[in-house]
Amino acid sequence: MKLTESKTDMQGRILSVSGDDHFLNRITSIGITEGTAFQTVRNDRKMPVLIYLRETLISLNRADAERIEVETA
Amino acid sequence: MSASIALLGQPNSGKSTIFNNLTGARQHVGNWAGKTVEKNEGSFTYKGTKYIVTDLPGSYGLSGNSDEEIITTDFIKSGQSELTVVLVDASQLERSMFMLAEFARLDKPALLVLNMMDVAKGMGKEIDTKALEEKLGIPVLPFNATDTKDYDRLKELIAEELKKPHKLAVAAPESSINVKTDSRLKFEWVSGLLENVTKTQGAVYKMSKFDRLMTRPVLGKIICIAVVLLAFLVSMIVMLPFAGVGQMIPTLLHDPVDKLLTDRNVHPWIVNIFSMMIPNTLSFTISMASFVLGVNIVFGFLEETGFIARAAYQFDGLLSKLGLQGKAICPMLMGFGCTIGGACGTRVMDNWGQRMLAMSIVWAIPCASIWSIIPVVSGMFFTWWQTMLVCVGILAYVVVTIMIVSKVFGRKLAPAETRSGMIMELPPYHKAHWKHIFKEAALKAWDIFRRALGTVTLVSLLFYVLSFSSDGNVNNSLLYRVGTVIEPVTSFFGMGWQTFVAFLSGAFAKEAVLGTLNAVFMGGNSVMEAAFFSQGTSTDTALLGTAMSQAVSGAEALAFMFATTFSVPCLMALSTTYKESHSLKWTVKVALFYICNALVLSCIVYHIASLFM
Repeated sequence: MKLTESKTDMQGRILSVSGDDHFLNRITSIGITEGTAFQTVRNDRKMPVLIYLRETLISLNRADAERIEVETA
Repeated sequence: MSASIALLGQPNSGKSTIFNNLTGARQHVGNWAGKTVEKNEGSFTYKGTKYIVTDLPGSYGLSGNSDEEIITTDFIKSGQSELTVVLVDASQLERSMFMLAEFARLDKPALLVLNMMDVAKGMGKEIDTKALEEKLGIPVLPFNATDTKDYDRLKELIAEELKKPHKLAVAAPESSINVKTDSRLKFEWVSGLLENVTKTQGAVYKMSKFDRLMTRPVLGKIICIAVVLLAFLVSMIVMLPFAGVGQMIPTLLHDPVDKLLTDRNVHPWIVNIFSMMIPNTLSFTISMASFVLGVNIVFGFLEETGFIARAAYQFDGLLSKLGLQGKAICPMLMGFGCTIGGACGTRVMDNWGQRMLAMSIVWAIPCASIWSIIPVVSGMFFTWWQTMLVCVGILAYVVVTIMIVSKVFGRKLAPAETRSGMIMELPPYHKAHWKHIFKEAALKAWDIFRRALGTVTLVSLLFYVLSFSSDGNVNNSLLYRVGTVIEPVTSFFGMGWQTFVAFLSGAFAKEAVLGTLNAVFMGGNSVMEAAFFSQGTSTDTALLGTAMSQAVSGAEALAFMFATTFSVPCLMALSTTYKESHSLKWTVKVALFYICNALVLSCIVYHIASLFM
């Protein structure tokens, strides 16, 4: 599923990230790499998605979160 | 003897705190040659050697092609600094060590600082720094950015390392042209290093109660707006005692200086400079600097605690449409109070282009002074409900101006590739380190005061020359002569010479507008006295209203109000913007835009309103 479809408090794993090199650079340098475990902390309509990953609370806007595929761990 | 070092770290790694504490007031801010990226340089002296510190722009990595990353990589590669101090956040060790993985490929001397050891300890995290040091082959310093003793150890270590520098002993991570693989290899490199050094706890994350409130879609936004309004009030309270003392200067100096010089038969033109212009200019600048002090304390507090990041989360969706980060919401709201506050509040933004864009947008937001003038002027011409309509019209045009500004300047200041959405961390709430906040705010306020005094005095002098008249009658001032000569032009824009002069005085100080109207329509006081709010400038708005409505049409009044609201902010806000942006070119560019915007708007409003009135 897409990260935007994940439910609050879901424990998951990043399956894949897709986009141009610029996007991939930004997203992977903050720690969102394929295979990383994460937790969805908050996912409200029209709001950025909040995830907890590599001991960090990260906020992603919805358009970016659309490009991240995840699975439940 | 001098040596050169550089600070490298991700955003939120505490880099600016360390930079400020190392260098104190000995800082120089500019831009990297040809780039819209801020360059911070400072220095400190330790045991007779001067160390020049370059604060490299914060970014999460070095492989991207953003200006920040290219500048940082080129600077380290150039070898201009003999040692790079790499900062990582001990509480998010694995993620922030990514920067060291990036740095490793550059193969230059370094030392590693594990900042926020106190936070890491508080989380129950143990880090074996000795083991890490052995693996890396460079010194590793556990650090607490708020502990003064740690700075001595850091300085000592820097001095030692410069004598006998170490490069990373461990091989750099393999590289790949595929971005995803490349990042994976770096994180694997980090994991390998951290094995037997620390354990990453995989506990379930629980949001704090406050965060649960702050991240609610509607309530969170309301809290943000309320907090910024409160922040404005607190800044005002900080300002009051200083501004009070500042205002005593003209009151105390005016009469004695006036008497002293007049007794010696000095020409009144000179007397007024010393008795009125200089003391008032000094008083303005003191008020401005003390307000900047208040804003810096409050914003320093909000930033350090983590509030600004929450506000950014709330408003990012809205502001990204303008090309701005969500963080810009705080200075923008501040702008409703005071444009100076808004301009210096942009310090929370971490990118120069974004900051300049935010400042130009803050200019469009009518400050409290404007809101105090418009209803008064409007009330002279229109009924209460028409005045309400005027205010609604102004608010609507604020939105239009913001959109125009973001279109006109956004392309250059926030290029498309830098605005592709927000990916940011929400740092955990920290306790505020008051000592550091006060110190930094005081430095900043003093800096603004020192540097703005010159600009403000110069422009004040210009306005003084224009508005001076020997007998206090406006008709004998240069302003009158210039105003009446160019009246054919200004009346095309909808303003006669009187309203145009008042419009010009608004660029000096918004509070001067009413006094100037009083001067030009009633001859009650001189424009000069109005501009410098000198003694005896009480304005009887009822009388002024009668005089004005006889001399000026409703259409002209409307044009004048719009022109005054949407022109450049006051001189103090203008010079704050210049000092904050370090760019005369951009400040002038934006100022010219606003002047043109005001005149065109006034022209349109006048000619349309003339059809109906």
